[in-house]
Amino acid sequence: MYLTPEQEAMLKGEYGWSTAKAMEIIVKVGESLGAENLVKIVHAHISGVSFSNIGEHGARFIRDFYEKGGRARVYTTINPGCVDYSGLQSIIDNSLINAQKDIDNALAKMGFNPVFTCIPYWYRPPSPGEHLAWGESSAVIFANTFYGGYTNREGGPIALAAAITGYTYNAGLHLSENRRATVLVTTAPDIDRQVIGAVGLWIGDNIREITVIPFAKHLTFPELKILLASMAASGSHAMSVVPGLTPRGTYIEEIEEKIVIEKNDIDKYIGDEYPRGSSVLGYVGCPHTTLMELMEVARLLERYGSPRKGRLLLTIPAEYTERYRLLINRLKSKGVEIAAGTCPVVSRLRKKYDVVVTNSGKAAFYLRKIHGLKVRITGLREVIESVYA
Amino acid sequence: MKPVVDGDCEGEVVLVDQYMSFLGEVDPVRGIVKTEKEEISVEEKILVFKGSRGSTVGSYVIYAMKQYGRSPLCMLVKEVEPILIAGCVIAEIPLLVVEEYDDFAGTIKNKNHRYVRYTRGSGILYAW
Repeated sequence: MYLTPEQEAMLKGEYGWSTAKAMEIIVKVGESLGAENLVKIVHAHISGVSFSNIGEHGARFIRDFYEKGGRARVYTTINPGCVDYSGLQSIIDNSLINAQKDIDNALAKMGFNPVFTCIPYWYRPPSPGEHLAWGESSAVIFANTFYGGYTNREGGPIALAAAITGYTYNAGLHLSENRRATVLVTTAPDIDRQVIGAVGLWIGDNIREITVIPFAKHLTFPELKILLASMAASGSHAMSVVPGLTPRGTYIEEIEEKIVIEKNDIDKYIGDEYPRGSSVLGYVGCPHTTLMELMEVARLLERYGSPRKGRLLLTIPAEYTERYRLLINRLKSKGVEIAAGTCPVVSRLRKKYDVVVTNSGKAAFYLRKIHGLKVRITGLREVIESVYA
Repeated sequence: MKPVVDGDCEGEVVLVDQYMSFLGEVDPVRGIVKTEKEEISVEEKILVFKGSRGSTVGSYVIYAMKQYGRSPLCMLVKEVEPILIAGCVIAEIPLLVVEEYDDFAGTIKNKNHRYVRYTRGSGILYAW
């Protein structure tokens, strides 16, 4: 691999242990993917920061980089951790707060922005053609598909290494010729947009290639977020093409295969009906809600009093609690549980519910697998009704 | 076959013939892969699977398996992506791409082969 004199010096340790180790990881991964050089990035987003997911060894790995001098060389944001810093809810278990704080402190002191959210594009929307090194599979696929940014699905340690060096390997989706969509996916007309998360899980499970998904241009911004996140959870999709939406010039479309998704294909991803009288955890916010979604939830809740069949949990970026306090208070007055800077996928729950009802395919995928919960996928309005009506 | 993270690789194979998300589908503390049907121990085995999917946290799960002493000896896969490679790089677990993966997985499934041996740098994978 060709390295510039500066990159060579980093690798040799002239910038300290952390930079050298970070460069070593990037070069090794890059060489194995056939990269000929490195590419300068403008934004790193670091995943793998939740103590609940990475444990003591992952935490030690991150703290080592801080203690041995690693510092951000580019704008860097951080994914959610495993504790709620808002103090506005009783669903998520905060007992790991001290272990999580050690990770957070190391990350913040390295100069990374402690936004604790999986929607880093809320803070800095990428421009078409910009090179990024993002972890967080849902953010990666959104950056490539919606904004036309260029990023691979970086594993947590690579995103960290890229933040410290300012570079990543020039392979995969950093090269225009690899941004080639070959499978056209359409949905049968009787598939409802309420279960778009289940459609995403089917695509992730059944298709390996980069897809063209024309039906997605009729979705709202939150629905598109949910569709793409689900594809990236059950599969390894890092980008898709939505004609008319994905910025032109950031992809090549050469259709070799056409696939139609039928209604019965997605039944198993939606999950079973649950008996009346079940205790329900309604969940919205995977990926984290944008301001628009919060307003929509508040609007849908106007006609209801307090929860009747369980609890409704919303997960939001850390700073929303301060910035949108009036809106948050309005939701609180309806008995909504709000967790900031975390989510049930990366944390632990205080008690078990009979069923989780959510609009998120990604949440369904992980809550079933990590927490062994029964999950039912439905639309936003129906999630709220399942708890309040 | 093509070494991605090169290293010696010899032992009993265990086949998990699917793509897997190390977050959610692997328990690093017990060295177990959880499929829809069963739980499979991969500790000290040669783990054969199609490749990684899902969470970018997967790299840290691989690293944790190694630290807990519950990791596979090496991994043989159909295809690689950055999450898997980064995990094997930091955990120092050999990772090899088997180009004729489907045939290879077929012979393991039929119990014709249970052991493999690969010596670093040799480029040849023996199975018996």
